[in-house]
Amino acid sequence: MRTNYRVNSGVHFHMLSEDQLEELFWGVLQTLEQTGLEVQHDQARDILKKAGAWVDGLRVRVPSYLVRRSLALAPRSFTLFARDGNPKHNLHIGPGRAHFGPGPTCPNFIDVESLERRPYVKNDVPLVAEVVDALPNIDFCEPLGAVSDVHPALGALYEFSGMFPNTSKPIAAWPHNKFDSAGIHQIAVAEAGSQAAFEQRPTYIYGCEPLSPLVSTFEALDKLIFAAERRVPLIFAPCPTAGGTAPVTPAGIIIQGAAEAWLGLTIAQAIQPGLPFIMGGVFTVMDMDSMSRAYGAPELSLIMAGLTELAHYAGLPMWQTGGCTDSKMLDGQAMIEGSLSCFFSALAGGDLTHAVGYTDSAMTGSVFQLAAMDEAIGYSRRITRGIEVNEDTLAVDVIHHVGPNGHYLREKHTRRHYKTEFWRPNLCDRRNFEEWDAMGRTTMKDRTVARVQDILASHQPSPIKPETQAVIHQVLAEAEERVR
Amino acid sequence: MSTLYEELFTAILEGNNEITPRLVQKGLDEGWVPKDILDHGLVVGMNEVGARFKAGDMYVPEVLMSAEAMQAGLKILRPLLVSSGAQLIGKIVLGTVKGDLHDIGKNLVGMMCEGAGFEVIDLGFNVEPERFVEAIKQHQPQIVGMSALLTTTMRAMAHTIKAIEEAGLRDKVKIMVGGASVDAEFSRRIGADGYGSNAPAGVDLAKRFVGAV
Repeated sequence: MRTNYRVNSGVHFHMLSEDQLEELFWGVLQTLEQTGLEVQHDQARDILKKAGAWVDGLRVRVPSYLVRRSLALAPRSFTLFARDGNPKHNLHIGPGRAHFGPGPTCPNFIDVESLERRPYVKNDVPLVAEVVDALPNIDFCEPLGAVSDVHPALGALYEFSGMFPNTSKPIAAWPHNKFDSAGIHQIAVAEAGSQAAFEQRPTYIYGCEPLSPLVSTFEALDKLIFAAERRVPLIFAPCPTAGGTAPVTPAGIIIQGAAEAWLGLTIAQAIQPGLPFIMGGVFTVMDMDSMSRAYGAPELSLIMAGLTELAHYAGLPMWQTGGCTDSKMLDGQAMIEGSLSCFFSALAGGDLTHAVGYTDSAMTGSVFQLAAMDEAIGYSRRITRGIEVNEDTLAVDVIHHVGPNGHYLREKHTRRHYKTEFWRPNLCDRRNFEEWDAMGRTTMKDRTVARVQDILASHQPSPIKPETQAVIHQVLAEAEERVR
Repeated sequence: MSTLYEELFTAILEGNNEITPRLVQKGLDEGWVPKDILDHGLVVGMNEVGARFKAGDMYVPEVLMSAEAMQAGLKILRPLLVSSGAQLIGKIVLGTVKGDLHDIGKNLVGMMCEGAGFEVIDLGFNVEPERFVEAIKQHQPQIVGMSALLTTTMRAMAHTIKAIEEAGLRDKVKIMVGGASVDAEFSRRIGADGYGSNAPAGVDLAKRFVGAV
């Protein structure tokens, strides 16, 4: 037992000082109070006005006391639950916990058989969910694409319907509007048993995306109101581009993006005090050559880490981004960009890091990139776990016992610890040259492809209730009818 | 090239939106023909901007400044070009498709097409298929350009092409598409005539469509 002895758990990473964070915080409040946002939703403007915001036509300014109050209401910690009750698949959001998962909306997909790039279709959704369910370092599910072979208004519904039965890990849903939101919610409630049961153990989180700069669009707010009324944990995340739709400097884009998020926060807390609310998004730079958003840029990691620190400073969990690449192939570039951003996310402690598996600047989803990043995340987690210092790990007595010229392989101490102290690679190869040569000279890509194909051939996610399957059929049938 | 044209060339390349209109006015005061000032001053300057961008010697923020300088000069010339019945190299209707509010790229395409000598009718953003059809009927452009940034609004491009087909106007126009979420493959699939990966590429495509290359 020690007195006056501080222990570091895990690795500590700190980019911004308290004073700098306070400056950024003030910059956000200033933007909300003095510039305001364009709020394109009548009911949302009414809610804001009643809560104390200043409404002038479409422009809404939020006084800082109201923002602070809304921040105070939102929880820093909460849990997303596995639909089958498997505690290993529960996702507890809280300080120091960094989780990872794929993202939505890529128009293209790397075919799991041919490895060719082609449009993403509804049959890809269950595949992605199965891979997510099986990978040990992926914690939540998203479709990794936008289905192209159904009516556009039904895409999100088909995506949720394809994911929900094929993984028991929590899902981040990105509906387009109130109608597919209702269908998605119906499915989740059916599995939970009732709305009340769902509220106690929510199994999905709901994503909305306002527009940069400083526009709260009708769609984003209509969806926010839907989710808030039903107590569905909410992500409100813009995708600003530094130098294009946001300031060119990291501090500037962080402030603007946070203002965009906290406008949504204010509405959400007014409707449902205490609603779990996650801020964040995909903040990156505009490549000044191609005008594209650079998903593999170091600035993405830098800005997201800064935003993570601001989010935590303000008491909110963070929707982070990582594991993406601008490369079109599963190659060295994809590994550099993906791994470094995963590692940085792990370091910064962003609560939910999404978009793992995005390639081709988010134009193509790849379960191979996802599986390779699962390895990188495991690797990163080993490092960020840090070094434990105690009587046992100091091993002074073991050192003494083994003495000069001895060895440690036989020691009980070694046997006791090596399985937890040493990370074991699933994909990285450490065999000697001759063995590797004899086993076919496999590359990282070969082994990643084999792992994915193996998961798809053998992994069995836990099933949903038959009643829920019936609800899914019903919801899809009704939705198809409505668009006809 | 005369000194006026050289000065205009430099002003455009430097993106100077104060000197450019002053030089244009100076040219007019000295009796130069508006169409000549456009073709030999502004257009030549913007062509060079496009070439340097392609070579990686200029970047988008600079291209934008040059386009705005050119616009400042064109503002003075436009009414004179119209009243003198000058023939521009073509007419383009541009818009960001329904559901999408992003327009920086489209605006740049518009400015650079004007800089190349086109007449540009910009319908703005969140443009419904019907408005594109109406604009084709009203303005009879050679080219229709559609832009979309979001993967969720790309489909509006297909809907717009369908609407143009149903109005019996598809063979009257060349359709080009662009935007961060669009690629050549998508453009082929929806039946567009071409795709531009950036604004200067869009301008080149437009020029090829009217045979001005």
